Amino acid sequence: MFARNWFSLSRFATRNPLLSSSRALSTAAAASSATGSGTTVNASEIAHFSRLSSQWWDERGEFGMLHKMNPVRVGFLRERVVRTRQDEGESENQIGLGLSGMNALDIGCGGGLLSESLARLGARTLAIDASEANIRIASAHAALDPFLSPENATEMPLTYRHATSHDLVQEGKSFDLVCSLEVLEHVDNPADFLESCAALVKPGGHLVLSTIARTPLAYFLTIFMAENVLRMVSPGTHSYSKYVNAPELLDFFRTRVPWLPNAPTNIEPPSHLAELRGMIYNPLSGSWGLMPRGAPLGLDCNYIFWLRRPLE
Amino acid sequence: MNRQAVRVIAGRTAGMKRRDHIALFSGRSRRAYASGVDNFDVVIVGGGPAGLALACALVSPEKPAALSGQSHLRVALVEASDLANVRSWSPEKTIFSNRVSSITNTSREFLQNIGAWQEVEQARTNPIEEMQVWDGLSDARIEFNAPHVSASAGEMARLTENINLQRGLLRQVEKNASSGVITLLDKTKVSSITSDGENDASNGWPLVHLTNSQTLRARLLVGADGPLSPVRAFSKIDSYGWPYNMRAIVATLRHGRSLSSFGTERNHTTAYQRFLPTGPIAFLPVAPTRASMVWSTTPELAQALLDAGEPVLSLMINAAFRLPDVSMQYLHRYLLEKWEASPVKKGCVTREEMEHELRWREQSHGIAAGSALTSISFDVMEEGDVASEQERRQQQEEGWIPPADAAMYPPLVHSIQPQSAASFPLRMSHADVYVGNRTALVGDAAHTVHPLAGQGLNLGIADAQALARTIQNALTVGADIGSYSALEDYPRRRYLANHAMLSGVDKLSKLYGTRLDPVVWLRSTGLEVVNELGGLKEAFMGVAGAGDNPSSPAGISGGGGGRLPYPEARQLPILGAALVEGITATIDGARTLLGNALRDGRRRH
Repeated sequence: MFARNWFSLSRFATRNPLLSSSRALSTAAAASSATGSGTTVNASEIAHFSRLSSQWWDERGEFGMLHKMNPVRVGFLRERVVRTRQDEGESENQIGLGLSGMNALDIGCGGGLLSESLARLGARTLAIDASEANIRIASAHAALDPFLSPENATEMPLTYRHATSHDLVQEGKSFDLVCSLEVLEHVDNPADFLESCAALVKPGGHLVLSTIARTPLAYFLTIFMAENVLRMVSPGTHSYSKYVNAPELLDFFRTRVPWLPNAPTNIEPPSHLAELRGMIYNPLSGSWGLMPRGAPLGLDCNYIFWLRRPLE
Repeated sequence: MNRQAVRVIAGRTAGMKRRDHIALFSGRSRRAYASGVDNFDVVIVGGGPAGLALACALVSPEKPAALSGQSHLRVALVEASDLANVRSWSPEKTIFSNRVSSITNTSREFLQNIGAWQEVEQARTNPIEEMQVWDGLSDARIEFNAPHVSASAGEMARLTENINLQRGLLRQVEKNASSGVITLLDKTKVSSITSDGENDASNGWPLVHLTNSQTLRARLLVGADGPLSPVRAFSKIDSYGWPYNMRAIVATLRHGRSLSSFGTERNHTTAYQRFLPTGPIAFLPVAPTRASMVWSTTPELAQALLDAGEPVLSLMINAAFRLPDVSMQYLHRYLLEKWEASPVKKGCVTREEMEHELRWREQSHGIAAGSALTSISFDVMEEGDVASEQERRQQQEEGWIPPADAAMYPPLVHSIQPQSAASFPLRMSHADVYVGNRTALVGDAAHTVHPLAGQGLNLGIADAQALARTIQNALTVGADIGSYSALEDYPRRRYLANHAMLSGVDKLSKLYGTRLDPVVWLRSTGLEVVNELGGLKEAFMGVAGAGDNPSSPAGISGGGGGRLPYPEARQLPILGAALVEGITATIDGARTLLGNALRDGRRRH
């Protein structure tokens, strides 16, 4: 069965998910309006998700790969943010731990792997997830940590909320740093989702996204090997047609949300505005690493994308 | 297919405050243990060199943090003994502790970086520039000197009393303790360690209950608490290993000044080690007329030597460096017979009796009085230094010059510093893993090693350095430093390197523990060949003294310089261990095949 799927090349001939049909858009609109009344989540999904969510903090279990990937993602985004802050003449004291003095938002926080790191680096962090079970696990985990849950603090370094990005847009919130890592490939209407993320970034703020490219290599590594052969993640975790290619993402931020100057697809954006980097798992060392800029096949599997919203 | 993922985005707002969630779902609010519990980022159990070095490296890191405010760690160090004894240690100039270690250049560089070496009393350290190592049966010899290691360093290692290093580390730690960055709790024992995970200890935080009824809650609990580590027991980490049927005798030796064959004074920078079949004996110079000794031997002999008293012991030490093995065996048998026959054990044999036997053995080997090989020194002197100085003048006036080979053997010991002789059992052990649930092991808690290569303390220092670097790196990416993912790098940096050292040293002790002819021939030829090959010699240097890098530089930005002259040299200690392993495997095979036949042949001889 794997073989038949693998040889059927037509499975790779999928369309850019960021250019979704109007039908998909209207479905999403319907879904997003449904969030207000709170009826889109059904009981069997809660049960299913709760089963998985209890494993968020088992570092050697279901989410082990994500735990290993997290330092690489955080290292990259911290470095981008710190470089920008230094370029703009902020003092060492202001930059502090890297994200000190910033308001950060983590969209699709899951168990809070990234959210806790953002808070430890000094950002006042709000983390949201559409799954109540995730929020419950994430809150319980942060409550164990005296740094994240100080006794007599007036302001908590890390706050969790059961909410969607659209909810926050409606509330008119905005942040210095918006992160949504390993979420885009799980979204039904990614273009709509990206617009909501972009709307939450303050002018001059940072947006960090990471996802998986829609290539045969990515299919082989993230679905065939990781899910079916090695069972490192549960089968069904990923869906190939939802993967987004890096050039598609670039085009999106050149045309639909025009933060980047218009340029041909194959031209990389200026490095002070945006940066794309591949992330690769080395099975020998058992750790993730950041690929060098412009490395061959660098953006053909897991990759991370940082960009700044223009000051306007 | 991916419905749960869709819900990540398309879910609804619960509108609940986080505090409510905690109360509703987690069922364990921090208030439950808030009273009387002190939260710390790192709790270190054990105030020995490894524990103190870690504390030091955490609060005054090797490299200043890339950005300010990075070292906001709350660190506590718990030590059972009274550290005031270390703090106020101020010995007389000529009195030396019997616990001495050779600090490799790599360890020293790290100690300098964390500001601790500057607090070590330099006058009580002694550089090692040369090492003489030889086979007790064949006399095959290997000589190491500093230029083989690194032209720039000038020395292979620095000898110092453990307590001197410990006091230096403590001083540096206390600089930070006064500013509140680190909490020192000495004269305090750990009464028990529990986990606050209610039904699942795997996600709880360790609670360290102290005898002063304080309780520390640790994000990361570090066991620097020695071979019987309570932290290791709490972490449910097994260790494998075996006791050697051996004890190591340590003592501070008093000897005359060493003279060259021109009658001029030689530097006291040469260490000596002879491999006897009963175990190696090492002479480690700490001052012009003082040296520290480590003599590994059978438990019975160790007891007999200590019971016989200091005058006999000093005579036996001289003999152990000089007398052919057959006569050493004779003296050992003689001593053991006397010891077994004696009802009180103490003073079972007199110096005169021993000297008589020794003189007779020397005559039978044709060792002339006054030659380099004679073990009988001058009368026991009460005030070592003065006497030996007079002695030197007297010898020079008489036109006496030391024999030609004098430099091949350590100076003659004339007495032992009172109360400095002691012994301890030897054991090889290695923990299965270094990291548990919010726990990590360093130093003797993780591994114990045969002292023949003098590496135990250096391994512990290297552990502390690697763990501190791992923690610093984890901080820069906002990681929870108690989590497994954050600590994963620590065993990656240390486990294999420690294993190579442990197993290399273990194999060496076995290789030199036999009198079997073909083995002796093979190891002697091997040693002599190595002695002629510069590159391979450097490989063994890595094992025995200098150079070896405590951690792979991968993943570390920066790190100190001044290592071996070329990067490949870092692999050499492992190569050296592999080589020894290969040789011993071959020998073991040969032994099974030929062992009995050869032994029969020897008996007929």
